[in-house]
Amino acid sequence: MVGRNWRALDHCDDYRSTIDADKVQEASQVVGTKQESFEWIIVRDSEDVKVHTTDTQVAVSLQLAIQAAIAAVLSITIGDNDQGRAVSQDLKQFMKTKQRNSQKTVIEGCKHVYVHTTDTDVAVNIQAMLQILVAIVAKVDIA
Amino acid sequence: MSNLPKNQKGIPNIAVDLLVSEIFRKNGVNLNNAKSKLSDEQKTAIKELVEELSSQVDSFMNSNNEKR
Repeated sequence: MVGRNWRALDHCDDYRSTIDADKVQEASQVVGTKQESFEWIIVRDSEDVKVHTTDTQVAVSLQLAIQAAIAAVLSITIGDNDQGRAVSQDLKQFMKTKQRNSQKTVIEGCKHVYVHTTDTDVAVNIQAMLQILVAIVAKVDIA
Repeated sequence: MSNLPKNQKGIPNIAVDLLVSEIFRKNGVNLNNAKSKLSDEQKTAIKELVEELSSQVDSFMNSNNEKR
């Protein structure tokens, strides 16, 4: 038996003759969240889909803030000289890990779905950077 | 999309501590000298900055972990 696939918006077909269900769905596909260019969540022919993802904007600004704090502490304690720059360079090499996952999630033909994705790389990196800052601060007797 | 436990701690503190010590040693940083360059005001400011950043990181981690 060749049946027709279930489609989330079938019940819209005769709802109002002026609405074309396919067109409505076309528009709602865009609701899928894209964070930078690496994470894609595509929602197609579905309804009641909730999406929760890592807030990339917050992650990036936190990374920059911690980096700035590390630079400031090093500049005050070691000085803005070759030695300070060498220490900073060595630390940066450690922090310079891949910061984004590349993941693509496709939700198709679904109802009542909750999607939660976490960018583990960015979370671990932020924690590592904070740990480095705390370790430096402890070394110079501030903590 | 992660199976990591909640409040995942990243790298062990002792590893980070070793790394920082080694980088200071390698570059010939004199810690006593570094300590003496800090005024009390600077110490307070840096302490507050670290506390503020720690709490921001905590909120970020919690928002990442919620509803898992």
